[in-house]
Amino acid sequence: MDSFATIVSVIYQFATNGAFLLLSAVGLIVILGMMNIINLAHGVLMMMGAYTASIAWHRNVPFWLCVILAFIVVGIFGAVLERAIVRRFYGRELGALVVTWGISLILSQGALAVFGPFLPAIPIPGGSVAVGQYSFSVYWLSIIALCGVLIAGLWALYNHTTIGLQARAAMQNAAMAKALGVNTDRIYMLTFSLGAGLAGLSGALFAPTVSIAPFMGQQFVAPAFITVVVGGAANVITGAIGSSVLLSLVKTPIGFVFGAFVGTVALLFAALIIIRLMPDGISAVLQRHIDRRNRFA
Amino acid sequence: MSDQSSNGHTSNTDPTPQPGAASDEAKADRRKVLKLMGAAGAGLTAPGFGATYLRGFEYTRSVQAQGNSPVKVGFIEDESGNLSVYGIQKLHAAQLAVKEINEGKTLKGGPDIGAGGLGALGNVAKNPPTISKDGVSLGVVNDGGDKSTEVVFDEDADVFIDSGDKGILGREVSLVSLDGQSNNALWQQLARRLIQQDKVDVLVAGFASAEREAIRPIVDQFKQLYFYTNQYEGGVADANTFCTGPVCEQQVIPVVQYIVEKFGPRGYTLAADYNFGQLTAAWTKAFAPLVGGQIIAEEFVPLSVSEFSQVIARVQQAKPDWVMTLLVGQNQQNYYPQAAAAGLKFPMASTVNMAQGYEHKRFKPPSLANMHNAIQYQLEVPTARNRAFVKRWMAMFPEDQYIGEMAQNTYFTIHLYAKAARLAGTTDQATLKKALELGWSIEAPEGSVFLEPGTHHCAHYIRLAVCDENHDVKFVRDWPSIQAWWLQRLGVNLVRHPEYKQYTPDEDPYFKMFLKKS
Repeated sequence: MDSFATIVSVIYQFATNGAFLLLSAVGLIVILGMMNIINLAHGVLMMMGAYTASIAWHRNVPFWLCVILAFIVVGIFGAVLERAIVRRFYGRELGALVVTWGISLILSQGALAVFGPFLPAIPIPGGSVAVGQYSFSVYWLSIIALCGVLIAGLWALYNHTTIGLQARAAMQNAAMAKALGVNTDRIYMLTFSLGAGLAGLSGALFAPTVSIAPFMGQQFVAPAFITVVVGGAANVITGAIGSSVLLSLVKTPIGFVFGAFVGTVALLFAALIIIRLMPDGISAVLQRHIDRRNRFA
Repeated sequence: MSDQSSNGHTSNTDPTPQPGAASDEAKADRRKVLKLMGAAGAGLTAPGFGATYLRGFEYTRSVQAQGNSPVKVGFIEDESGNLSVYGIQKLHAAQLAVKEINEGKTLKGGPDIGAGGLGALGNVAKNPPTISKDGVSLGVVNDGGDKSTEVVFDEDADVFIDSGDKGILGREVSLVSLDGQSNNALWQQLARRLIQQDKVDVLVAGFASAEREAIRPIVDQFKQLYFYTNQYEGGVADANTFCTGPVCEQQVIPVVQYIVEKFGPRGYTLAADYNFGQLTAAWTKAFAPLVGGQIIAEEFVPLSVSEFSQVIARVQQAKPDWVMTLLVGQNQQNYYPQAAAAGLKFPMASTVNMAQGYEHKRFKPPSLANMHNAIQYQLEVPTARNRAFVKRWMAMFPEDQYIGEMAQNTYFTIHLYAKAARLAGTTDQATLKKALELGWSIEAPEGSVFLEPGTHHCAHYIRLAVCDENHDVKFVRDWPSIQAWWLQRLGVNLVRHPEYKQYTPDEDPYFKMFLKKS
């Protein structure tokens, strides 16, 4: 029983670590993978999601609605941002990097000036379930499940809708897509808005477990970028899943045995080695594998 | 050094050395003392001769020529960033103290030349608290008839008195306050600015030990009079620095003793991964065996971490009798709601949490249930003088949610500075450092605080606060005065031998001895 409980606990830790990485990265991955914009405002968009959720929650809005609200509010904000600023930097990667960084400074200091150093916390919804000596947070279990839903939704969006098809076309060859009548401008706006909205959604989902403060986004930016870079841009969704699973596979057992700090160090080392071995990320390797199989089939 | 008074509780240190100690010191340092006495003329540097101190001040009074420009209190705390939950309280404390000083108010207290802190203690506890073995049912009530506190208090409200002075020596006090933004590099810039550009008369600054260590070299470079008001890991022996918060020996041992008696020997330490967390964990590990406990595992968490599910699983696996949580900052505080959501129910001990970041007010019950902290102050301290203090505070800052340990320290420290400046008749920093080395008692909201001259640390009134599942706080044990004795054992005497360093447990052979045993 004891060893069974330990196995369940390790699986739970593995899933929470993976969900944490995936959720931190999902908004970034959409924007970077589809548009090749290195969005340094990612952390701030997550912060805005958490702020939206906290403000709504303390006005007696139910938590699930707060999360949806965060997605919508930050998504709309992303669209405005793209129209007003980001679109002027398409094709200029470094310019986009600097401008998004500037946006993040203005927004985080602005949040500090307007809302003060922190907002009231949201209690973690749900209780716990026990297995043997271990007990697990129901909220994290729901986040893990939600990650699956989110990935399935993204996959369906990109593979089974016209917009998804057009987005992939615009990503592969913008000029050709344009020539074929795809409104790439609109696609870029929608993609950026979706990425921003997803960042806001993750921010709202993390809100009960973190302190809601102007600079809260910073803690997610590093894991998000590591996940995205390790995942690579060849295929957004396989990259996200592949890298969060692989990184969590490294972090979880080492963290469980040697402590969270060593676990984080191991994660960074793993990222270093993976990028050295697969410079284009896991998704490029997976994509090559899939392509080869398709060719022989 | 400490006396045992006839009614059973420990007393404050008498600044006059014991005959034996004095002769030992004199033997060792006769040459140096003679040299110093010769140089100083008035003999300001020799402790234990009350009259010479006063003669020294007569002299400095006559050179008082400071005009009517405001007295500048330089102040840095984190008003934003990871540590702002503490910084804002401390800023408000400073603003309240400065306002009161300018309105001609002060706290009771003064230098205890020749008399030690005994008289001061008598003001607080007229009957010594009797402590039972389990520490919970003392069967006494305070004079408000409130049985829930279970500790004897003498209600002594009128510690807030007229100073007979407007501001300090007739000069207005102005607070020059800057936001350190929880960023050590910025702290250094701001300290330089306050010292070199604003030329502040006194610097009151510092939350995290990393911040203090970042600015202390600058303080020493300019011989700036500096107060560090935080609870911390201890060991700072710096002739320019006065540490008015409690340190490990005043908190770790009481709380570990209580929790071992009540819940069993096996503890699991969860600490912030920087100098405070590392050193406090070392104290816990070294001293737990002395009170029958044992630290079975330690884990250090980086300050940026706010996701604890893996840490929680490790604690569950270890099945300790209690968990020592030394978590710092808004990121790490999320351990509590996460642990509660994951169903963790181990009793907890701490020297920082609850009393500083008021986690029990910010997180949903029962996140902090069964938290034990040997605090020196927190808002709930059930005495009349504290209720009066809270009332004054809330009149000035009606929006505030809490007054924590460090906020109270900042408050009484600035009042203490004003009192010392009045006695010295000057705000000259070198003279004021001597004046502060007279052996001061001040009647802070927590109780009597005694600033021990040799180590520049304070003896504090320590109470064991316990948080219940509804997040109400009970005080189950009282220690009316616990000294910061560790630097004394290491032989630190800043009055005779100025130094500018921080001692760590590595430099104390006793720690290694205890560690081998455990």
